[in-house]
Amino acid sequence: MITLQEWINAIKSADTIDKIEEIRIAVFGKKGIMNAEFARMKDIPDAEKGTFAKELNIHKETLNALLTDRKLFLAMEHLSATMKAEAVDVSLASPLSERGSLHPVMETMDRIVEYFTAMDFAVHTGPMVEDDFHNFEALNLPKYHPARDMQDTFYFKDAKLLRTHTSPVQIRTMLSTKPPIRMIAPGSVFRRDYDITHTPMFHQVEGLVVEEEGKVSFANLKFILEDFLKTMFGEVEVRFRPSFFPFTEPSAEVDISCIFCAGEGCRVCSKTGWLEVLGCGIVDPNVFKAVGYENVSGYAFGLGVERFAMLIHRIGDLRSLFEGDVRLLEQFR
Amino acid sequence: MIVTKNWLNEWIDLSSISTQQLLKTFNAIGLEVDRHEVICAPAGVVVGFVESCEKHPDADKLNVCQVNVGSDVRQIVCGASNVRAGIYVAVATVGAELPGGLIIKEAVLRGMDSHGMICSSKEIGLPSMGEGIMILDASIGELVNGKNLNEYAAFNDDIIEIELTANRGDCLSIYGIARDLCAAFNKELREISKSVEPEGRLGIGRILQLQHAETYDVELLYGAVDIKGLSVPFLVALRMAILEQNYTNIMDTILKYATHSTGVILRAYPFDVLEDTGNGKSIISLANDSNGYAVLNGKIPLSVVGVSQNDEARFSLSEGLAIIEASYIPPEIIAKKMGEIKVLSCPHYYHTSRGSEPSLNQGVKYAMKLFETYTTSTIYGGHLELQSPRETRVVTMNEEEFESFIGMKIDKTTLTQILKNLGMLISKPKTSAFAISIPNFRHDIVNKQDIVEEIVRIVGIDNIPSKPLVFAEKNQITSDLNTYKKIRMYRHRSAQSGFFESVHFVFNERSVCERFGFVCTDEDKELLNPITATFDTLRPTLMVGLLNSASANGKVNQKKIALFESGMIFDAQRNESKRIAFLISGAREGEKISNAGKSPTVDLSWFAQKISDVVGSFNMTPHVPDHTLAHPYICAKVMLNGQVAGELFRLHPSIEEEFDLAPTFMCELEMDVLPYGLVEAQPFSKYQASFRDLSLLIPKTLAYETIKNVIAKHASADVKRFYPVDRYESDSLGENVSLSIRFMLQSMDKTLEEEEITTAMEWILTGLREELGVNLR
Repeated sequence: MITLQEWINAIKSADTIDKIEEIRIAVFGKKGIMNAEFARMKDIPDAEKGTFAKELNIHKETLNALLTDRKLFLAMEHLSATMKAEAVDVSLASPLSERGSLHPVMETMDRIVEYFTAMDFAVHTGPMVEDDFHNFEALNLPKYHPARDMQDTFYFKDAKLLRTHTSPVQIRTMLSTKPPIRMIAPGSVFRRDYDITHTPMFHQVEGLVVEEEGKVSFANLKFILEDFLKTMFGEVEVRFRPSFFPFTEPSAEVDISCIFCAGEGCRVCSKTGWLEVLGCGIVDPNVFKAVGYENVSGYAFGLGVERFAMLIHRIGDLRSLFEGDVRLLEQFR
Repeated sequence: MIVTKNWLNEWIDLSSISTQQLLKTFNAIGLEVDRHEVICAPAGVVVGFVESCEKHPDADKLNVCQVNVGSDVRQIVCGASNVRAGIYVAVATVGAELPGGLIIKEAVLRGMDSHGMICSSKEIGLPSMGEGIMILDASIGELVNGKNLNEYAAFNDDIIEIELTANRGDCLSIYGIARDLCAAFNKELREISKSVEPEGRLGIGRILQLQHAETYDVELLYGAVDIKGLSVPFLVALRMAILEQNYTNIMDTILKYATHSTGVILRAYPFDVLEDTGNGKSIISLANDSNGYAVLNGKIPLSVVGVSQNDEARFSLSEGLAIIEASYIPPEIIAKKMGEIKVLSCPHYYHTSRGSEPSLNQGVKYAMKLFETYTTSTIYGGHLELQSPRETRVVTMNEEEFESFIGMKIDKTTLTQILKNLGMLISKPKTSAFAISIPNFRHDIVNKQDIVEEIVRIVGIDNIPSKPLVFAEKNQITSDLNTYKKIRMYRHRSAQSGFFESVHFVFNERSVCERFGFVCTDEDKELLNPITATFDTLRPTLMVGLLNSASANGKVNQKKIALFESGMIFDAQRNESKRIAFLISGAREGEKISNAGKSPTVDLSWFAQKISDVVGSFNMTPHVPDHTLAHPYICAKVMLNGQVAGELFRLHPSIEEEFDLAPTFMCELEMDVLPYGLVEAQPFSKYQASFRDLSLLIPKTLAYETIKNVIAKHASADVKRFYPVDRYESDSLGENVSLSIRFMLQSMDKTLEEEEITTAMEWILTGLREELGVNLR
């Protein structure tokens, strides 16, 4: 006959859940020793029955508790062992993104549009194939105007042309709506130029504000462009230089302090400390005349998106923007 | 436009103005500085006089010179071919350090001692003035042997290149720029010292007569000079070298110099080519002919005003009687004329078309002074003149207008002063109205805003405050904005789904597009002046651009190429339509542990899945494309909400080969067909859904599309969805395959009974059996 102590030892030394189960059946099963012990009750004299039953119940409790504990312990151990076996080298599983990206020029355009729509500008677009009137004539560039030299234009056989700026969209908008106007025209434009710093197609965003006469001043133009450039480039200095565009008067070119050398002078800014980024001015009265507006005042500005994108993202090669090269594009995901 | 500080000094006193301040002012007044370069002869390079010059006894090409450098006479061996006795030269004395680091030392050249070096312009850091050493003359100032060259202004100067805007023809001369600077610095212009005409000069009227039948828009002024000993003074030669202008003709050089200085267009005619009318007098006449305003002698054309000069009528000698002509023609007139007739023009045309200087007398005087100072020529007295009656432009405006345009109040005194400095005459400045007379050299100023621009640039834009504009609220959501936002959404989704956005020119190569079967722009609407042969038409598709980029990526060993582009394409009539196109070539994903370093290659269903990640679920139906880019048996029409949205296909294997590409799939969709806008929610059933699979034995050639249509026809309202889940092919099935289709059945009102489900499935099966002869496997 196995003693109680021996059962206790057996439970404590059981090393698998199966063994615990075997012991449980041997002790608490139908034919287990507990039942056998309780069966002995009938042979126990009445006077001792109470004590016997009490002791037996104590033993039963003890063994049961031991079994449960040991089983739990072994289950835990088993789980840890299983998990340990499942261990992986997480460092091997570091993922590489399979996401694509937006093109830096288009993303820059998005940012520009976002700024101006937040400033309550409307967005207007127009055709790329334009005519002389909308692209030149109405913008105070009559035929043989020397400023047309600045615009190397793609022409079609039927005298249409590819727009050289998005300004014709402004003309179209003015012809179809009444002032006041607050608009930008984002889009592709075309010039007959192809070298290291020019591509035959690039992107522009041009803006136009028209209000009643005497309302829009050069000071207003300064405000919005300074604010815009600081939004795009961070804390830069902004400088306005008088310039000439046929469709604005007075006109200015706008520079920001070089973001590469902080104005010290470097290769990118040709040692000047300044980067030219925008053209702007007060709308020339001849432009208003061409669209039949009277007693109005306004300002206009225009910028090249590629230039912005290249400066903001430090892209050195303009042409690389049009080559769909994954090595460039994947950097923007 | 190139100027130098000292050259400017002829008209404006810049002695108190630093070069930095000068540069800053140029930029501030709208004369953009493109380049600034300092020229300064090195210390120890001095004036020397060659007293004698002998051939080197042992070297053919060397000369041994005795050079007076003030303190003493030194022997210097010189290899230049133009060295000779009796000339002033630049001598780098022993110890002088030349640009590039050469330090002059005592030397022995083939046995002869040499104590210094006679220099060319390049050797002391100046622009090249041609072969040989510099031969100095008094045009740079009094020549003093031993005096450091850099003590002469000409050798210690700032070269400034200005990028002029097209409207500022008045600044195409040193004088013009000095005039603008005077306004900026509030200084007086220096007028050229008036040389008093000596008594007893022969008058020009004795030899020349000017004739014209009517008045023209042209001004002419003639002087005459009997040229003797014509040569190019050193200062003129140096400055022409700074301008990078090469002239072989001495007269042309001097006149070009005078034109650059004064802005007046000058030409010289040899008197002896003019026909003598009998009394030693010749006649010059002006006529409006087909080429423009012709200057004629009899019937012989001498020049076209502002445009060109006849070669035979060019003064090319260093002696003889010359007629000097100054001319002016308003730029708008000449530009228009030239735009209409397109004749060959000389370099002056650039200047005249932008506005040359109308004060002709000043140009002729400047040229005559050069002849007088540097040659032994005799100048004729007086001049002949043809004037055109031009009205002075007057712009009237009041003080408030200045303020409303600029956004800042500028006091009347300042306004008046600035306008005066710019050469404008103001009448009645005491009232609020300004009547401003525009000087004739400012052809660009015609209206109020032009005047405001002058004020703005002289005041300085930096000094104008920034003020936000106050405006009335207005709904600015346009349909163009919505289109922009729709495209932006699809671009974002494309990037999110693994595609890289690319941007291509809207130009394609016509022959390539046509070879692929695309219809290009109609011949009579085609591009007239393409920039290259490979960009000679507008793109009829986005796919050619993507294909070229994919190929370029493949060539640099890119294994996974996933690109998209959203942009405009053009039909034969050049109508624009918005498209979005996708391409995936080669690997589906990067190489990694999970794919054991070998990514599976893109296939139809994987590619279609990627596209649907962007545009949502769509149906693909068999399709035969109009072009030859597609694999004829792996090509689908993309159907979105019952509309054709575009096509999706594998690239034709022969094109994959031609472009050196791994298996490649492409898709081009019409932006207008893609959904955008608000979703309308549909009621959905709250009851349990049931699923049933049907495994059908179908002929291999039977398209799922056909089966699908039959099922749709026979499906009850409770059949919510069905979709193929397995396709099994085996030899035992012969020409058939097994296709398993899963059905989802659900009612809006209750949980479906088994019997109802069975009935619904039976209807479908019966339909399939009857219409297609298809049975369960």
